[in-house]
Amino acid sequence: MRYILRRIASAIPLLFGLVTVTFIIVHLAPGDPTALFIDRDADPSYAQNLKTALGLDQPLHIQYFRWLKQVATGDFGFSFTKNAPVSDLLAEAVPRTLLLSGSALAVNFLMGIAIGIFTALRRGTRFDRWVNTIALFMYSMPEFWLGLMLIFAFSLAIPIFPASGCKSPLAEYLPWYEYILDVLQHLVLPVVVLGVASAAATARYVRGSMLDVIQQDYIRTARAKGLGEISVIGKHALRNALIPVVTLFGLSFPFLLGGAVIVETVFAWPGMGKMTVDAIFTRDYPMIIATTLVSGTMVIAGNLLADILYALIDPRIRLGGEG
Amino acid sequence: MNLRVPMTLVVFALLAFAFHSCGKSGGGLENTAIVALSADVENFNPILTTSTVSSEVQYCLYPQMFDLTFDLARGRLIYKPGLVKRWEMLDSGRAIKLVLRRDVRWENGLIVSPQDVKFTYELLGDPSVASPQKHYVDDMIFTNGKFDLDKSIEILDDSTMLFHFRRGHPNQLFYLTIPPLPKYVFKDIEPRSIRQHPANLKPLSGGPYRFERWTRHQEIVFASNPKCTYPGPAILDGVIFRIITEPQTRLMELKKGTIDLMWPVQPEDVDDLKESYREIRLETLPPRQYEYIAWANIDFQEYRKSGGKTIRPHRLFGETRVRQALTYAIDRKSILDAKLGKYGELAVGDISPMFRWAINTNLRPYPYSPEQARSLLRQAGWQDTDGDGVLDRNGVKFEFSLLYNVGNARRAYAATVIQENLKQVGIVVHLVPLEATVLYEKMNTKDYDAVLAGYNVSLSIDPADRWGSIDNPFNSAGFQNDRVKELINLGMNAIDEEKAAYYWKELQAILHQEQPFTFMYWIKDIVGVNRRLKQTNISTLGVLEGIGKWKIGDPRSSYSMD
Repeated sequence: MRYILRRIASAIPLLFGLVTVTFIIVHLAPGDPTALFIDRDADPSYAQNLKTALGLDQPLHIQYFRWLKQVATGDFGFSFTKNAPVSDLLAEAVPRTLLLSGSALAVNFLMGIAIGIFTALRRGTRFDRWVNTIALFMYSMPEFWLGLMLIFAFSLAIPIFPASGCKSPLAEYLPWYEYILDVLQHLVLPVVVLGVASAAATARYVRGSMLDVIQQDYIRTARAKGLGEISVIGKHALRNALIPVVTLFGLSFPFLLGGAVIVETVFAWPGMGKMTVDAIFTRDYPMIIATTLVSGTMVIAGNLLADILYALIDPRIRLGGEG
Repeated sequence: MNLRVPMTLVVFALLAFAFHSCGKSGGGLENTAIVALSADVENFNPILTTSTVSSEVQYCLYPQMFDLTFDLARGRLIYKPGLVKRWEMLDSGRAIKLVLRRDVRWENGLIVSPQDVKFTYELLGDPSVASPQKHYVDDMIFTNGKFDLDKSIEILDDSTMLFHFRRGHPNQLFYLTIPPLPKYVFKDIEPRSIRQHPANLKPLSGGPYRFERWTRHQEIVFASNPKCTYPGPAILDGVIFRIITEPQTRLMELKKGTIDLMWPVQPEDVDDLKESYREIRLETLPPRQYEYIAWANIDFQEYRKSGGKTIRPHRLFGETRVRQALTYAIDRKSILDAKLGKYGELAVGDISPMFRWAINTNLRPYPYSPEQARSLLRQAGWQDTDGDGVLDRNGVKFEFSLLYNVGNARRAYAATVIQENLKQVGIVVHLVPLEATVLYEKMNTKDYDAVLAGYNVSLSIDPADRWGSIDNPFNSAGFQNDRVKELINLGMNAIDEEKAAYYWKELQAILHQEQPFTFMYWIKDIVGVNRRLKQTNISTLGVLEGIGKWKIGDPRSSYSMD
């Protein structure tokens, strides 16, 4: 527990540094945020007035300290382009992105681990070769193209899934169980693109790791003791084989919020990835900095979670150097 | 272990899940239209929006000042009574008296009053609002450089208003078309804080629909406004705008029948839609946007450095014959054919072909002629003296950067063709794709040699915003010509369109000769509509114009209209 608290405490200066650097970079990057929402033939005083209203006429350090003060009170500022508080916008988009990316991550690791184990156990068989070929094919397919092909195949040609959006129009008025089913249906195609393609990569990691483990002496000993195959693999081999997967999981964690930009665009999924990209293109400074802060937090949380999982899987590892 | 039985069950369960209520929605959609938007709206305040999508959606919410139509045969805007029931031009067009209806109400029952209209113009003219629609007051009365609200707009009684303008102009009425805002809602806010007013996001309606819900990047839901007295409650129960930015996804939703209307349809998708999707009809809008290459006619760097005092011709594009040569050297027709086909036309100038009365029909587009281009460049002294394949003059190579925005496939293609075409005549072009914000900043500060961009023209002809002054941000070429200034002044003060047309035609002839821009092509947007949607009034005024009168009907009933 002390270790976790120490890690969280050490993350604060890291996040502080991250937002400071982001703040400086976005303000120094070329591009005037007011250029997009006032007429180009308007008197220059109009642009100046708008900059004053948005606080952009102040020196950079004043803007920075003002922003820090706001954030300290839980206020991320006001989005220039969306005309709404940034915290409201994040509150709308983050849960939707977490639903999509979280489902994709679950599919990725559940499928990836299962396929990895099966192909390792059936090494060199036709099943192994086929699965490896398909996995490589899925992994090398561009998300954009795969998304459009899936929409064409399973929404237009064989209309079994919705093409886009995160729910049907007016689905809010359906009974709750139908509403959930409706959202799940909308999740299928984007999750396939995000999760199944990544599962292909995870499966290859697990397969390699599993092959290493099942050739080790202690597995032979377990079999020699007369343990069943399920017990040997599930109890003894899997635990060790999953250690590299935990690293992969930790690295995938930040993707929960920022990695789905292309899929969100293709499937019109109203999440944070799209919002972040729009903010960057429109130089919506408060929005860019807030999304960076959230993503940075996710990276740190991902690493912390990976470390905790290591300790759970491998008893030899003791957090905080106590063991 | 035999996995066959559980696997079969899983497959059946998945299929049942997939087919369960697929395409089904929350019910109550039988009399609701679903429209796909290519981008989310910025807000619902007509004086704070810049995007076309935002302006279109406002047709649902605000009472329109006039019932406008565009007479394509004559190329003229026709004004019919709307919120304004009568109007009278006074003082040779320098004043307009409006009489408003007294029965038009906001959703909360308050009457849409002359105070609302005047308040809207007060906000438009207030520099602290920095309205992108500020040009609506540009021709009204200014005192000491500031918009003078009381001298511009008088309220004579509870339904009559008098607008004053600096000059008479046949189309001054156009500047009275911005929909009014409810003063009651906005009156207590500091103008400079208006962008943060919650009513921008949740508007009070006075139009055929009322606001129900907006989920950013997802959907906007409007319901018929039963309290709308003019033009009356929408016939449909509601309209849902779905935000689908990816064009191919939007198109597949249209093909699938899960949306009723989308735009723009890409020209390359038209044949497939016509052949395989009989339930979809396509409507083509008259051209209101053109693309151009702005050549820096003057040395912008020197002009900026001297604070606008030094005007020197640009080292490459300062001469008329060089700019003509560039237009001859670019195969605009091949770009047009490849990217727009019959949904575009070569541009001669910057007055839209839809304004038939103003078009100088004697002018023809420059043909693609590399020979003519080489000859003109030679006459201007540009030759390849050192045999490296690049033209030079007095030790200066003919080499420049062409800026354009990323994310526009047609422009990216055009830029590549331009680069290749100009290489054929010995000119080196460096392509510089830029993010929109960076490009706009460079265009505003005129920090470039050449830029490939586009322009949406208004429904009224006003060349002053492009050719009036070098400092005008839309005069992207820094073009200056005394006769052009004179013609703009004459045209803008002409008492009727026939007289104005005389000046506009001469103006086009000068631009055609001088080629400050290479005018590329006009673009006609294509709108895809499911035939179940009836009584749409898609026109150059707007795709959603008249949305209150839309109906849902039998999709088969209009097949014969093809």
